[in-house]
Formats: sequence, C-alpha cells, structure tokens
Amino acid sequence: MTTVPTPSLAGEADLSPEPRHLAGLGAVAPALALLALFFVIPVVALLLRSVLEPQPGLQNYAEVFGSTTYLKVFGNTFLVAGLVTLVTLLLAFPVAWFLAVAPRRWSTLLFGVIVLSMWTNLLARTYAWMVLLQGTGIINRMLMQIGVISEPLSLINNLVGVTIGMTYIMLPFMILPLHATIRTLDPTVFQAASLCGASRFQVFRLVFAPLVASGVAAGVLMVFVMSLGYFVTPALLGGTSNMMLAELIAQLVQSLLNWGLAGAAALVLLVVTLAIYAVQFRYFGFGGGEAR
Amino acid sequence: MKACTLIAASMLAISAALSGVGSASAQDSMVFTSWGGTTQEAQKKAWAEPFTASSGIAVKQDGPTDYGKFKAMVESGNVAWDVVDVEGDFAVAAAKAGLLEPLDPALTGSGELDPRFSSAHHVGSFYYSFVLGFNKAKLGGKEPKVWADLFDTKAFPGKRTFYKWSAPGVLEIALLADGVKPDKLYPLDLDRAFKKLDTIKPNIVWWSGGAQSQQLLASGEAPLGMFWNGRIFAIQAENPQVGLSWEENLTAADVLVIPKGAKNKAAAMKFLAAASSAQGQADMAVKTGYAPTNLKSAALMDPKVAATLPDKFTTSQINLDMAYWAANRDEIGKRWYEWQAK
Repeated sequence: MTTVPTPSLAGEADLSPEPRHLAGLGAVAPALALLALFFVIPVVALLLRSVLEPQPGLQNYAEVFGSTTYLKVFGNTFLVAGLVTLVTLLLAFPVAWFLAVAPRRWSTLLFGVIVLSMWTNLLARTYAWMVLLQGTGIINRMLMQIGVISEPLSLINNLVGVTIGMTYIMLPFMILPLHATIRTLDPTVFQAASLCGASRFQVFRLVFAPLVASGVAAGVLMVFVMSLGYFVTPALLGGTSNMMLAELIAQLVQSLLNWGLAGAAALVLLVVTLAIYAVQFRYFGFGGGEAR
Repeated sequence: MKACTLIAASMLAISAALSGVGSASAQDSMVFTSWGGTTQEAQKKAWAEPFTASSGIAVKQDGPTDYGKFKAMVESGNVAWDVVDVEGDFAVAAAKAGLLEPLDPALTGSGELDPRFSSAHHVGSFYYSFVLGFNKAKLGGKEPKVWADLFDTKAFPGKRTFYKWSAPGVLEIALLADGVKPDKLYPLDLDRAFKKLDTIKPNIVWWSGGAQSQQLLASGEAPLGMFWNGRIFAIQAENPQVGLSWEENLTAADVLVIPKGAKNKAAAMKFLAAASSAQGQADMAVKTGYAPTNLKSAALMDPKVAATLPDKFTTSQINLDMAYWAANRDEIGKRWYEWQAK
C-alpha cells in the first residue's frame, strides 16, 4: 500500500490549506477518474432513470415502497443476509482460531483448502450444492439409509438451501479478517488478566472480545454487504418465495426492461449499504486486522 | 481547478480509448450473440463455420443474450453485437420500440420462411415446443399425457418443475389444464391461471435454465414437468426412462435480429440469409432437436430425425401468442413476481 506522506504536525501549520488539499487530489486523480467513470456516472445515471422513467416523478419509489411484493423481497434480502452472516461467524470463528494456533504445516494446508474453494467457479459450486441437497441427493439418501429420517428433508428451494449455499461461499470472507486479528493477539495478555484475578468469562468479555471486535466487525460487514447483493446462489438454491433483491433487479433490467423501477430498487439497496458502512466506520474505523 | 482538468482529461482519454475498440473492428468480421451452451454451439457449427468458409467473414461469438445490455447498446449508439438470438416476444416489442434494424425484404419475403416466425425485423432462429416431460422410472411406470396431469398430485405424486421466469408458457399450461379451449387462451385469464397454479404451488420446483431442468428430471427430483423439447431430446439419448408427451405442445421460436446501429450490418444481413436458409435450418435442427423455421428444410433432412421434431406434431400444437405477450409483458411480469413471492 502506498500512502500519501502526511506532513508532521509541526510542518502542517506552515502550509496554507488550499495547496495541500490540491496536492492530495493530484495524487489520487487517476483513481478518482476511474471511480467517476465506472461508478459515480453509472450510479447517477441510474438515479436519474429512477426519477425520469417512464415519466418524471417519484412513482418508481412509490411503487417500491408501496408494493407488498417489493417490501417482502427487501425483507427476504435482509433476513437471508443476516442469517448467513450469523452462521458464517459461528462457523468461521473456530476455523480462524485453529488457523492462528495450529502448527504451520496444518494451517498452510487449511489455508490452501479455503483459498482453493474461492477459486472454483461459483456456478459449479452452487450446482454441486444443488446435487448434494436435493430430495434424491447424497445427503438425504445417506440419512435415509442409516435410518435417521424416513422422508427426505427439504434442504433446497427454501431458506435452508440458500443459507447453506451462501454460508459456504461467504466463509473465506469471514475467516480471513478474523484470522488476521486473532493472529496478532498476544497470549501473555490473557495470562496477565488471569493472574490479576479475572475469571475465564471475564477474560473473554473484558480482554478477548474487545481485542477481536474490529476483526469481527470487518468480517461481519463484508459478509453482510456481499450477501445483500447476492444473485446466483439464492436464485438456484432458493424457492421463489425467498427471492432476493438482486434477482428481482436483474429481472427488471434484463427481461422486463423496466429500468426506472430497477433503478429505484437498486438505489434503495445502495443507500442501505452505505448507511451500514457509515455505522461501521463510526464505531470501528475502516476495520480489518489492524488495531484501532 | 488543476485536479478537475486532470480528471476530465483522463476521462476523455479513457472514453476515447473505449470507443476506439468498437469502431476498429474490421469489415470482414461480425459478432453473433446467443444464449450459450449447447444451442449456441450448434448455431456456431451449423451457421457460423460454413458461413465463414463460404464468405470469408469471420463470426465472433458472444453471449449470453441480455436484453438490458441490448437496449443499453442501442441507446448509447455503441453497438457491439451484429446478430442476436432473442425470444419472439422481445423481438416484437423491440421492433416497436425502434431497437431493431429492418431486414432485407428479399430475405423476409422469400416465401421460404415459416410466417409464424418471421417479420420485417426478424427471421426464425429455431422453433421449439414446451412439452410435458417425465421420468418413467420415478413414476412407477405411469405416463402423464396432458397438462392436467401436472396438476394432479394424487395420480402423479411428487414435485413438478416449471419455467421460473415470467414468460410465455406456464400461464397457458395452467389455463389448458383448467379446461380452457386452445382457441380461447388469449387474452389470458390471469386470475384463473394463478388460481390454478395455487393448487400445486408447494409441489412446484422452478427451473431457471435448460441444464437445471435436465438435472431435475434425470435425478428424479422432479419426475415430471414442462420442458423445452430439445432438452428432453438431449437426455433421452442417454436415459431411455425419460419420455415426453406432445399433447398440446406449446410452440414459440427464438428469432434472429440486428440491433439498430449494428456496425457490420451488411455482413449481418448475409449471415441471416445463411442461417435462415433451407440448409442452415436443416443443419441446426439435426444438431438440436428443435424444428427448422425454413419450410424447405424438411426435404433436406434424414426422415428419422425429422419425425422427432416439433413441426411433426402440429395437429396437437398451440402457438404461443407473441404479440399478446409483447403488449402485456410488463403487467403480467408484475403479477407473476407478486404471486411467486407470496
């Protein structure tokens, strides 16, 4: 990472605000230009479409907020994203812990497995889950053969299927920031806490939890926000009553060509996402493995 | 000020570079866009390769077809596609919206093309039927025959699979199963169709693409359902337990269009002539199990193959009304997603 050199506190007073401001801008201008070209302009165009098509006015927003269908799809989107984030966190924590404390050979191997799964084609992984989870799939057949169940469980085309498939895909995005935080923890800090008389629970609550909070926040944010916009996996593993917003937007854009409505829905999602980022930034800074 | 100029300059440079990519394409090449998978592979083998050999015009493949991208290209005037495979109702609506180039009248007026699938703005790509497909092994040897069987969960227990998106097909099937006469289908009685679908909603598994539909049927996850006939044709080759009924098969066609402002219009027009020719359509049909849209193709085909194609089952055939769908797609789509999300 290259950073713009920041002047020392003493030097800062010597510079008038304006040139310093411009010097910073000059260095990031190419990045800003790219961002403007590929992000800001399309988003503004979408915003314009949402208030201009099919005729000027706020009718697209009225439709998004006034229709039970869209509200239900919004609800689904947040429910799925929240559920996936929670399950991912619960599963990723022990893995990240193990990665941090395991002998190097084991952690390298496990890292390899995690990263390899990320490199495999998303569609292939989703189809694999479809084959595993369906009524005639391996999991149901196995459970039936050993006599745990007599009827196949419905593991697919519903919330269960979406949660399993998406959790699997999101795991690395939770494990990596958690691992980065846990790795930097100094075990002697916990010993010190115990020596000073803290119970195990107190060590966890007062020492451990605050230290890993930024890693958890970074992982949770990343997984939640990515889940909000997820498309392929819910479309294939979910039922129609679990439709998520991204799928609906894709339909509006690609098939129904109703770009005004798609723009309104997309902007609502974008605003919510930015709001979540703002909350994260307010409480945890930009997060990641670094200590605050 | 300086920073703003810099930003503006870099943006200009980038957009100039980007638009340069499009206009630099040589005159002896064009871009064909379709849906990918086995269908596009067949289109490449049946049309593009022989066309390049005879005309010297290289055909680049792109895809999948995306109506959003299509509209964006035409609106921005930077059209990267020359010939696009689209669904019939989109072609009708797009022609009305001014997104398509009118085609050479010599081509569309030749009298060889099935009039159901050609117009001043499109020629038929291939014509398919929605058929009732089933997996005998998973149904205890029983064979469903008519669309009503898809709604009869007593006689045929288990999941049934339907096409997921709001498109011609499912609503028509529901109405036929409910006893609507084929000639009284349109305009669709949406209330009645959704009411009929309600009766089996928990038993429906939706397929969103051809490969998924095949997977559901072959594995027995859904032992019966509605399918594109070509997909059944493909799994029958490996799995003799898979059967189909042509009773009230619902017909529509994919069609080929030229987006307004296509950069290689002349080459595209020649390509359309080759693709819709008797030979091009016959070759395509043999490879896919879909029917030719050229009325003279049948004579060029192996009679054994020709006997399995949708155009041999016209007595029990119903045409999906693309003009109706083009006019009502928005409204139906709204109802459709509302019902699905319920």
